[in-house]
Amino acid sequence: MKGSPLAQGVGHRAGRASLTRPLCGHPLPEGEGSDAASNRSFLVLPGPTPMLYAQILLNGLLLGGLYACIAVGFSLVWGVLNVINILHGSFVVLGSYIAYFAHVHWGLHPFLSIFLSGGVLFVVGYAVQRGVINRVIAAPVLTTLVLTFGLDLIVNNGMLLAFTADYRTVRLEHPLGSQIIGGLVVPLDRLAAMGLAVALTVLLFFTLARSKIGRAIVAVRMDAQAAALMGVDVPRIYAVTFGIGALMAGAAGSLLSLVFPISPLNGTEFLGIAFVVCVLGGLGSISGAIVGGFALGAIQSFGALWIGPEHGLTIAFALLLLLLVVKPTGIMGRKGYE
Amino acid sequence: MAEALFSVAGLESGYGDIQVLWGVDLDVGHGEIVCLIGSNGAGKTTLLRTISGLLPARAGTVRMDGADITRAGPKGVLATGIAHVPEGRRLFRTMSVTDNLLMGAYLRRRADPAVAADLERVMTMFPRLAERRNQDAATLSGGEQQMCAIGRGIMSRPRLLIIDELSLGLAPKAVDVLSESLKEINTQGVSVLLVEQDVMIALDLADRGYVLDRGRVTLFGTAAELGAAPQVREAYIGVA
Repeated sequence: MKGSPLAQGVGHRAGRASLTRPLCGHPLPEGEGSDAASNRSFLVLPGPTPMLYAQILLNGLLLGGLYACIAVGFSLVWGVLNVINILHGSFVVLGSYIAYFAHVHWGLHPFLSIFLSGGVLFVVGYAVQRGVINRVIAAPVLTTLVLTFGLDLIVNNGMLLAFTADYRTVRLEHPLGSQIIGGLVVPLDRLAAMGLAVALTVLLFFTLARSKIGRAIVAVRMDAQAAALMGVDVPRIYAVTFGIGALMAGAAGSLLSLVFPISPLNGTEFLGIAFVVCVLGGLGSISGAIVGGFALGAIQSFGALWIGPEHGLTIAFALLLLLLVVKPTGIMGRKGYE
Repeated sequence: MAEALFSVAGLESGYGDIQVLWGVDLDVGHGEIVCLIGSNGAGKTTLLRTISGLLPARAGTVRMDGADITRAGPKGVLATGIAHVPEGRRLFRTMSVTDNLLMGAYLRRRADPAVAADLERVMTMFPRLAERRNQDAATLSGGEQQMCAIGRGIMSRPRLLIIDELSLGLAPKAVDVLSESLKEINTQGVSVLLVEQDVMIALDLADRGYVLDRGRVTLFGTAAELGAAPQVREAYIGVA
């Protein structure tokens, strides 16, 4: 697994690297690191101090919100459909590309293109479930896993053909820059992206808890046959659920386009993140995805400080394995999707 | 007899290579309580699952008000006014009692004031549910769960309520409460098709009954006739 794209700029060890230090371990064209400019100021912080730890925690939490948003759709699909959606990472990347092109061609800010990428991905997800996955939904989980794996190969290679593997970045005309708040450097664009990611996740929570379609999704998750007896059109709910999972991935992709360089190669990493967050937080609940997302962000940031930014994700996966042994249900683990 | 509310004719069904039902005929009249008795594996649950569209029929017809609903699917069957309370209650475990009951009204408009009125009607019928309306269904006792399952069934305003195992695993006192409420529901004009392994309870509640054995109806008649029939007394009640 390549080095964590987000581990850059999280501590004094990262400080050795220049600012144009490649994100994702891949070179960026000269002068393309402008969105990372907000990180510049804390790269010169002295060795470990309480302030540094607070800064690193903050950076971790800023990532965590985005991680939660990546993972929550994956968790929903896994929980409700019992489908491990390997496509999820590519859906995120697709959302980023939509944000990128909407920004380049129409000047649409990625915060606004969440509606576009979310909408497009919902339609894609709905169609994939209705047209393909629903046909084998009753099969063992391995069958659907192989199916989504195959679909992912197609989608990912399609993106490689269409967009090439070049890294692209969204360069805002008017970045918000960063503010020093209480001695901490707060990159405002990232803060806003995290805020939106959490807001979307909370919105999903209330949709499931309150809306009619949300109640139907939860009912199908708990007992599809009993839900059918209530008059719920189960195949349609499956498609809607998969669509919502893709929507969350697409919206997360839009937000991530501000933080990550965009390339089809990132799909695997986003999928890995979704996996870790789900298992870390506990599969099948939104609160689990939020807790897992923030936990992974923090673990990765501190791991980058103590062991090196290139090992951030390694540490996260090592902890994941440990957690699987000690508490397989995850931090917030509980059966049933609320 | 006048035109039945609900009828099944020559129904065949099964799972994979195993055929369970071999031409079942049965009907339920307006305002009737009809029971279906038979030993384990006789095909009672399979019959109910085929009626409600969870399982496709291989042959035969299911009719409601004379209209063929054999292939209407679960949603279509429910829409014609048949609610199925499945075996083992099958409540939505981490949903509250209220949310479970509202799921029963899924096909109705949510904002419909009649839904809220029906919800209160169920709460009045089962005060225990009213006390626990915000609790998760999983925290209910077996009897309370069955109340919730029946309440959820009538939230769709059915004209025929199908109940698979009313008393299974429940304390006698809870069974008494449930039996009374079933009679009450019935007097409000809802017909009932009841599957019940406790033949005494079944014949006590029902007007008429059918005996199902190895996928075929072997005997039917009024509750009194069945109670007096030697086969029933011997096989299901344990007295000759």
